[in-house]
Amino acid sequence: MTKTADNGAGNNAGAGIDGSNIHPSLSESQKRSLVPFNIALVLPAQITIMAVVVVPTLIVIWLSLSDWQPTQAVPWWHGEFIWFWNFFDLWYDERFINSVVRTLAVVAICITVELALALGLAMLFVEEWWWKRLAVSVVILPMMIIPVDAANAFFMLFNDRGPINHLISIIIQEPFTFSWLSHPTWAMVPIMLCEIWQWTPLMFLMVLTGLMSLPQNQLRAAIALGATPARIFRKIMLPLLGPVIGIAVLIRSIETFKIFDPVYILTRGQPGGATETISMYMYNGAFVYFRMGYIAAAALIVLVLVVSICLALSKPLKRHGG
Amino acid sequence: MNQSFLTTIFKRSIIILAMFFAFFPIYWLFATSIKPFEEWASWPPVWFTDQPTLQNYRIVFFPEAAREFATEQSGSLDYKVSGSAWKAFQDSAIISTFATFFSVLFGTLAAYSIVRYRTGGENYPFQFLTVRMMPPIAVVVPMVALFSVLRIADTYFGMILAYTAFTLPFSIWMIRSFIEETPAELEGAAMIHGMSQLEAFIKITLPLARGGILATALFIFILNWSEFLFALVLTSGDVTTVTLQVANYVSASSGKLYGVQAAMGAISTLPVIFFGYIIQKHLVRGLTFGAVKR
Repeated sequence: MTKTADNGAGNNAGAGIDGSNIHPSLSESQKRSLVPFNIALVLPAQITIMAVVVVPTLIVIWLSLSDWQPTQAVPWWHGEFIWFWNFFDLWYDERFINSVVRTLAVVAICITVELALALGLAMLFVEEWWWKRLAVSVVILPMMIIPVDAANAFFMLFNDRGPINHLISIIIQEPFTFSWLSHPTWAMVPIMLCEIWQWTPLMFLMVLTGLMSLPQNQLRAAIALGATPARIFRKIMLPLLGPVIGIAVLIRSIETFKIFDPVYILTRGQPGGATETISMYMYNGAFVYFRMGYIAAAALIVLVLVVSICLALSKPLKRHGG
Repeated sequence: MNQSFLTTIFKRSIIILAMFFAFFPIYWLFATSIKPFEEWASWPPVWFTDQPTLQNYRIVFFPEAAREFATEQSGSLDYKVSGSAWKAFQDSAIISTFATFFSVLFGTLAAYSIVRYRTGGENYPFQFLTVRMMPPIAVVVPMVALFSVLRIADTYFGMILAYTAFTLPFSIWMIRSFIEETPAELEGAAMIHGMSQLEAFIKITLPLARGGILATALFIFILNWSEFLFALVLTSGDVTTVTLQVANYVSASSGKLYGVQAAMGAISTLPVIFFGYIIQKHLVRGLTFGAVKR
């Protein structure tokens, strides 16, 4: 087992250590007979994905052109065909547009804070000391928790009679029983804090992995030559950490964009849709108001949006070997 | 690096502060789960209870205790959540185990094929990643439609199918990164000596990648156990999961069953914490699809 330290060898498919990962010793005839074998191996995975992801995606296209609602008591393929009206309506649906903007803001804020905290914290973990393992174990505890339970904990922390309000009361010296979760703007704070609290550890571990694999010689040389810490960080660490940070930000952005569990547990998008993220908006639309066709159209827009952003982002990352 | 004693003290204090922040919400969850009813929502809140009780756990697991509690506290609480959490634990265990098994099985086969035979070319593995990129809510609406037609909504089979599909990208990419670390020459040699391709795969590469595949299985189990959105929309009572049960307690009695919801939260998350620490050094590899290794 070779422990490759190169960050993101995942993309140089099969290139392995010295290209020895694919069978070199097979004759031509054997190679020809290989084809059914290797295809057979990917079939179970491929069929499962087809059944659960590709077929539904095709259905979503049909649904998005219909006005199907389960309450109409007709099967979905009999929904009224209304051409592109769903998309037209969505364009003028403030609640939808707001949820998109809100989600993008949540992604921007959470990722920035997570990255800043993770970078700062990882710097402190480069050296060794005797209780370092314990410290790492405790710091990464949040990411081990079921997301629903993390939200559950924050639900209690930010309760109007919870410990957060108690702390604030102690600081300002008067009773403070603000109900965070029912305020249209402030309710976003517990939601984002929950997300940040849970996933900073992952960002931290990724950055730390990158930091630990930095070439120690370069760092020692820079220190010996009298470089300032700030300069070392900017000139040596950041360029070398770039790919790792890129992957971390990309993966966390995609995950944060999907944010649902904390929103559902903490507010369900209430009051009046003021805390709805895209996922929450679509859940409410489809399973509270039962406007399946309309939400299918929204789903299609989001799908196209996400997949094209990801394709655009994954190309430069692939090229950098990340 | 030689740094002054003060700098070291400063650094360690920040680390202890970070440890405190990471731990506090979890402390609060567990602390609330052993508080008696009077202390659930008292003001000022009770930070350390001096009368710990297991009553909340009894309410979670035993319907008699729940009924007793409901009659005692009637008027102050409208106790809606009936039935025991056993059903949720049992269903979660069944669904997560089977879904993990199929995900890892299919994932291993596909990953092996992708590494050793470059099946589908360079870009083929990326189509699996797209599954993970799309917000699940976007496919949930048509999935509900499809599952109701196939009559597999609210069944174990439907849940296992959905969970298998949505964890496959993780299985394939994580196991792929483990198989990439095994040498191909051994297999080549074995095949020259008359082993079939399948035999070479099962007898040579599989044992070498076993540890990695096991770690992947635990990782996938954690994902399945923690899943919430699919459970929420693809079930309607016959099948339930621990995450649904947590959500039920949070919303029951307009969210005032603090002690009970904390007990359910604490007990449901324990197995996952345990598994998480077992595979701690593989977590980053898993969550980054094998891109960042330790």
